[in-house]
Amino acid sequence: MSDQDLVVETVRDILGSHEPFVLTADRRWDERLWSALAEAGLTGVGLPEEAGGSGGELADAVAIVRTLAAGAAAVPVAEQLLVAGPALVAADLSLPSPDQPTTFAVADSVTVHPVDNGDGPGRFTLSGTVTDVPWAGAASSVVVLVPAPAGVEGSVLALVDSSSLPATDAFNLAGEPRGSLVLDQAAAAGALLTPAQADEVRARYALARAVQLAAALERVLAWTVQYAGERQQFGRALGKFQAIQMELAEMAGEVTAVTALTDAAVQALDRGENVVLAAAAAKVRAGAAVEVVARLAHQVHGAIGFTQEHKLHHLTRRLWSWRDEAGSELVWSRVLASGLLADGPDGLWPALTRVV
Amino acid sequence: MSNSLTLAPAPPSEAAEKVRAEVREFLAAELAAGTFRTHVDTWLSGVDPAFSKKLGERGWLGMTWPKKYGGHERTAMERYAVTEELLAAGAPVAAHWIADRQSGPNLLTYGTEKQREEILPRIIAGECFFVIGMSEPDSGSDLASIRTKATRNGDGDWVVNGAKVWTSNAHHSHYGIVLVRTSPADPAHRHAGMSQLLVDLSLPGITINPIRILDGGHHFNEVVFEDVVVPGDMLLGEEGNGWHQVTAELAFERSGPERFLSTYPLVAEFGRRVADSGDPAQLAVLGRLSARVLALRQMSLRIAAALDRGELPNIPAALVKDVGTTFEADIIEEIRKVVDVTPSLDSPDPLARSLAEAQLHQPGFTLRGGTNEILRGIVARGLGLR
Repeated sequence: MSDQDLVVETVRDILGSHEPFVLTADRRWDERLWSALAEAGLTGVGLPEEAGGSGGELADAVAIVRTLAAGAAAVPVAEQLLVAGPALVAADLSLPSPDQPTTFAVADSVTVHPVDNGDGPGRFTLSGTVTDVPWAGAASSVVVLVPAPAGVEGSVLALVDSSSLPATDAFNLAGEPRGSLVLDQAAAAGALLTPAQADEVRARYALARAVQLAAALERVLAWTVQYAGERQQFGRALGKFQAIQMELAEMAGEVTAVTALTDAAVQALDRGENVVLAAAAAKVRAGAAVEVVARLAHQVHGAIGFTQEHKLHHLTRRLWSWRDEAGSELVWSRVLASGLLADGPDGLWPALTRVV
Repeated sequence: MSNSLTLAPAPPSEAAEKVRAEVREFLAAELAAGTFRTHVDTWLSGVDPAFSKKLGERGWLGMTWPKKYGGHERTAMERYAVTEELLAAGAPVAAHWIADRQSGPNLLTYGTEKQREEILPRIIAGECFFVIGMSEPDSGSDLASIRTKATRNGDGDWVVNGAKVWTSNAHHSHYGIVLVRTSPADPAHRHAGMSQLLVDLSLPGITINPIRILDGGHHFNEVVFEDVVVPGDMLLGEEGNGWHQVTAELAFERSGPERFLSTYPLVAEFGRRVADSGDPAQLAVLGRLSARVLALRQMSLRIAAALDRGELPNIPAALVKDVGTTFEADIIEEIRKVVDVTPSLDSPDPLARSLAEAQLHQPGFTLRGGTNEILRGIVARGLGLR
């Protein structure tokens, strides 16, 4: 058994005793699951030990995120392991303790002022409203990417203590908290990023959601295949009907496409390549698959899949949410196309062969 | 998810990127010299034996085959890069396409030493072209229902009677690998009693009749066999093993980048239009199409890597072909939504021309090499449903 298999096995064991539940304003995340994961050291995987993380490879962190996404786990692990944590490490900022959840948000309307004059890591004050904060109200810290002060190119990546900030009640289609935080002269450690570095951080966020989408899409297919094998109508299993087989095969095609591209983007990230276009493509392709896979999964499951008592909605509602988070297909498709045409009108094909 | 559908990711290949650059340079020079013009779906319609010969001279045919037959013993990943570049450029590759893709590999697996020595070096040189002899007038998706039969005569030779259809470019080709009944059909064992014959298309008794496709192009043919005497030593593989051999051949037929790049020249033309207009709606469509190309490349590369590992991934190949050919057709509608252009084969506008070519070829994409319904049945088997 490889290290990665071992990590996945551990996450599965922990998940086994934490059934997904319907998230509400009163119960907005799975704190017990988070504690169990943190106790096992899984909320610091992929982050260097010298920075306070648990060590391990990007592939391990991705495996954890995939397993939790497929299990509809209501914890900010993707944000912490794949976005906020690595962004802080890359910017030479200190990591909060991995035991405490740290989330990530892009905050274009927040203004930032340096407290000191350093170019590198320094102190800033931030004011304005951070919207669409994943796990707002649950996460004790939030890493925000905000436009650099007037006259300075790039962005500031800042670590804000959100433990005492009230979050508004806003939720995605799956009930996951996506509220706003109001910053009023909030003091924070931060670092100035170049536009290219800021693009990389946004791309990491998109890729994190693409990884979650890929895992959830795979699981929805598996559930649907299993259901089609068990559900009997007209004296035989649904899966024996050609009409159903065609639908399941179409789902499998979409899922395979998403997995192939997402895996390739993750590997490019692991090799240290610039992954803006790869992440854009993975997010667009994963988002496009959601319509087909969620629609057909519900169609095959029939009316029971349309109820809260059946598990299917835990993932289909997340699919419908995640595809629009961290930049929708519309946003990333334009980024992708603009990037591919950067070398001119005849450069499309060479650019396509360089993305991943 | 069933393991039979998933393949390991393809490792990056420096050798593939090296040969890719060489092919790109060659194609730019050929385009500049005007030896070919870019078209859609050129692996069906772009017959140019002189071009095929040039590819042979550069070592880009029979790339993965053993050196003892003149092959180049390169990886499937390198061959993938070469074929992908040729398709993306819309180069005229139809003459040699079938021989290089599946007939050669079939001979390598099942051919006799004599057959290989005689034929493989000529394919590698770009001088010997093949057709697929599978479908018949009454046997399309139901391939096991074929009626073309071969019987042994007193000299031990095969006497072939029947007809094959959709035989692409038979009028330019030298050989066909023809699936025939060598034993009467047995309803209890539908896949038994078939064999493959290596048939010289110049033999007496063979008539090649053109079948024109929607744009008037002559690529398809009906090949009629009337008491054609095929030498006894031209049996390919084992008598009665035809179904199994055809299935293996289909893994090569279904797995390549031509299953999602047939209409790529249309995307390239659209890309030029978008670069010029900067229109946000067009940019978004180009981005969505590009994301689909990128996913299909990864799927297809995984198959090339599996071939390099010695696997024959039939089920993943069927899946990629389903997704890829659906994409080839979708491109047309996606572009139409955001560009006001009237398709025409004789338009001065290259986008209008590419659209017209793609539209008139589109029905074929999801039929040839196994309909998408058949492919989805194979995928359903991979999912454990049948």
